[in-house]
Amino acid sequence: MSVPGMTQTTEAVARARAGDADAWGELYRDFAPAIFRFCRRALPTREDAEDATMEIFMKLRDKLSQYDETRSFTAWLYRVAANHCWDILRRRKIRQDKETDDVENVPLEHPDPNQLDKLIEQKTSEEVRQALHKLGARARMALVLRYYSDMSYDEIADELGVRRAFVGVVLLRARHELRQALEGKSALAAGGTS
Amino acid sequence: MSEPRNPVSQDGPDGTMDHLDEITCLLYAERQLDRARAQAVSAHTQDCAACRTLLRALDRESRLLTRAMLEEDEPLPSRLAEFQERTRKSFGWIWGLVLGLAATGVYALYTNVVEPWQLRLEQAGFGGTSLLSLLVFQGAFWKGWQSVTTLLEVLAMLTLAGFVFALFRRRLRRGSALALVLAGLCAALVLPAPAGAMEFHKSETYQLSRDETVKSDLFITGARARIDGTVDGDVFFFGQSLDISGHIKGDAIVFGQSVRINGQIDGNIRSFANNLTITGTVGKNVLTFNEVVNLDSAGKVGGSLMAFAQSVGVDGRLGRDLLLMDGETTITGTVSGEVQVKGRNMSIAPSAEVGGPIRYEGDNPASVASGAKLASPVEYTKREHKSQYMEGHYYLWRVIWTAAFVLFGLVLFLLLPKFSEETVRAGERFGAPVGLGVLVFFAVPIAAIIACITVVGIPLGVLTFALWILGLFSAEIVVGAVLGNWILGRAADTWGLIGRMAMGFALVRIVYTPLEHLHIIGFLVALGIWMWGMGAISLALYNRFSPKVSLGAVGPLPSASLPPYTTVGGTQPA
Repeated sequence: MSVPGMTQTTEAVARARAGDADAWGELYRDFAPAIFRFCRRALPTREDAEDATMEIFMKLRDKLSQYDETRSFTAWLYRVAANHCWDILRRRKIRQDKETDDVENVPLEHPDPNQLDKLIEQKTSEEVRQALHKLGARARMALVLRYYSDMSYDEIADELGVRRAFVGVVLLRARHELRQALEGKSALAAGGTS
Repeated sequence: MSEPRNPVSQDGPDGTMDHLDEITCLLYAERQLDRARAQAVSAHTQDCAACRTLLRALDRESRLLTRAMLEEDEPLPSRLAEFQERTRKSFGWIWGLVLGLAATGVYALYTNVVEPWQLRLEQAGFGGTSLLSLLVFQGAFWKGWQSVTTLLEVLAMLTLAGFVFALFRRRLRRGSALALVLAGLCAALVLPAPAGAMEFHKSETYQLSRDETVKSDLFITGARARIDGTVDGDVFFFGQSLDISGHIKGDAIVFGQSVRINGQIDGNIRSFANNLTITGTVGKNVLTFNEVVNLDSAGKVGGSLMAFAQSVGVDGRLGRDLLLMDGETTITGTVSGEVQVKGRNMSIAPSAEVGGPIRYEGDNPASVASGAKLASPVEYTKREHKSQYMEGHYYLWRVIWTAAFVLFGLVLFLLLPKFSEETVRAGERFGAPVGLGVLVFFAVPIAAIIACITVVGIPLGVLTFALWILGLFSAEIVVGAVLGNWILGRAADTWGLIGRMAMGFALVRIVYTPLEHLHIIGFLVALGIWMWGMGAISLALYNRFSPKVSLGAVGPLPSASLPPYTTVGGTQPA
C-alpha cells in the first residue's frame, strides 16, 4: 500500500478543506487505489467495490470538515471507508444469526500446529484472496479491518458493533472460516487436536 | 458452554502437559495480553514445542493475510481513475443541446398547439384570456376564491408533508411508517370534503325525488342514478347511467356510459361518457368526450358546445359556438355563433340555422341542404391523410420529445439522486424487475379502480393512479439509464448517471422508432420497456422500505467463550 508522505497529505487536506479542487484531486489520486483495494477485499464484487469507492469519496467531501488534523488522515479515511462498506453489507441483510451464533462454538483448543503450518506454506496470496470472498460478511470485514487497515481491537469493536472483549474471538472464528474455505472442512478448521 | 479452562500451561493430574488455547495464542501473537499473562505464555512456550509451533503458524498466517490483503493485484479501474470530472466535461455540450431542444419544444408546443387551441376556444365562446384561466376560472371546477384558499392549504400541507418526509427519510425504513404517512395524507385529503358541504351517495341505484332538495353538492357513485329533484350545488356522477330530469343549479360532472339531460342545469356540463343526450336546458357550456352526442330538438344550450366524439347531432338550439372534433356531424337545429368542425363528414339540414361563419375541415365536402339558413357559406378544407412516418416534422418532433423526456429525467435524477441510482441498479438485474413490472403494470390500475369505488378510497385511488402514470413516464428513462450504464459502465456520480440516461434514452428511441411501424411488435417492445422500468422503480421502492435487520441490535456475545486469563476488553485487576 503506497500512500503519500504525511506532510504532503496534511497540506492537501488543508487545501481541500479550503475548497481547492486541485487538492481534492490530489487526495483522490493518492488514496483512491488504497480505498478501492480496501473495498475490493471487504465487498463481494468488483462492481460493488468500484461503486463504494466513489461513494466514499463523495461522502468524504462532505465529511472533510469533521476530520481532526491532529490525527492520522489515513486511519480516519479507513474508518470512513469501513463504515461505508459495513453499512452496505448491513443493508443487504447479512445473516445475523449465523454471524453471531457460531461464535459460541469457536473451539478453544489449538489445531494441529504442523498441519496449520503446512496449510499456510501451501497457499498463495491469490488463493487467500479468493477464499476471503467465501467468508461471511462479518468474518471478512474483521480480517480486512485488522490485516489491511491495521486497526486496533478497540477500533474493530467500534466498527463491527461488538464488545471489545470479543474481537479476538471474531478474528479467530474468521480465521477458521478462512481455513475452511482454503481447504474444505478439515480438522484444522474444526479445531484439530487438543 | 462448559467452564473454560485455564489457557496457560498447567500440568494435568496424570502428569501430562496442557496446551494453550488457540485464542490465547492469537491474542499473544497480536500483543493483546497483559504483561503478566504474556510472560506466562512465553514461559510455557519455552517448554512446549507444540504451542511454540502454533504461535509461529499463527504469526505466519497473520503475515500471509496481510500480504494477501495489501498486494496490488488489480489496477485502479479506469472509471475510478478519472472519477467525475470526465463525465461533467464531456456531457457539457450535450446538455446545452438538450436544453436548447427542450426550449424549442416548449416554444413549438405553445405556438403550434396551445395558442391555436386557445384562439379556437375563445372563438367557441369559452372566453378567458389564457388557457389557464379558461380551465381554472371559467371551468366547472371553479368554486370561487374560497376554493383557491383550500387549494393553497392542500398544497401547503403537501409541501409540509414533503419536508417532513425528507426530514425523517432515514427513519422511514419500514413499510408501516410509509403506510402511516400515506394514510395521514389521505385522511387529510378526505376530511375537508364533508366540511365543504358535499353529500355522498354510494349504492346500486340512487334517486332524488321531485320534491327533494339537496342543499349542497351531490356526489354519486353507483350503477344508475336519477335526479328528479333539485340540487343547489354541483352534481358529480361516477357510474353507468344518469338521468337528470330535475333542476341542478350548479354544474354536472359526469363519468358514465349513458347520460340523459331532460331537466335543467344552470351551470356547465363536463361529460366523459358513451352517449350524451340533451333534451332539457343547459345554462352555460358543454364540454364532452363521447361516442355519440345528441342535442335534441327540445334541447337548449345557452353557451357553447365543444365535443370530441364519433357522432354529433345538433337538433336543438345552441346559444353560442359549436366546436367539434368528430367523425360525423349533423346540424338540423340552430347555432347562434360560429361553427368549427374537424371530421369525416358534415351535413346541414334544411331546418338548420347558423349565425356565424362555418369552418369545416374534413374528408368529404359538407352536404348543405338548400333550405338551410347560413350567415356565410361553408369554408371547406380537405383533410389530407399522409403517413406520419413520411413527414419530416414527425422526426423533428421525435427529437424534441426525446429532449423533453431527457429533461424530465434530469429533473427526476437531480431531485432524487440516491433513489435514481438505486432504481437503475435494480433495473440491471432484469429478471426480477420485469417480473415485478408485469405485476405492477396490471395490478396497480385495477387496485386504483377498486379503491375509487369507495368514497373514502377515491383520494388514495387517484393518488395511486397518478403515481402509476408517473411510473409509466419514468420507465423509459430508467431503461435508458440502465442501457447507458451497460454501455459506458457504471456512473461515478449523479451527473454521470444522467449522461448515461440521456445516451441510453436516445438509443432506446432510435431503436424503437422504426419498430413503431410494426404495430404489434412496436406495442410489445413498448410494453416490455414499461414493465422493465416500472418493475425497477417498484423494486427500488421495495428495497428502500422493506424492513432491515439492524446489526446494532446484535446481542452481547457469550462471555463464556472467552478464556479467563486474557486482557481482552481491558486490563483485569491483578
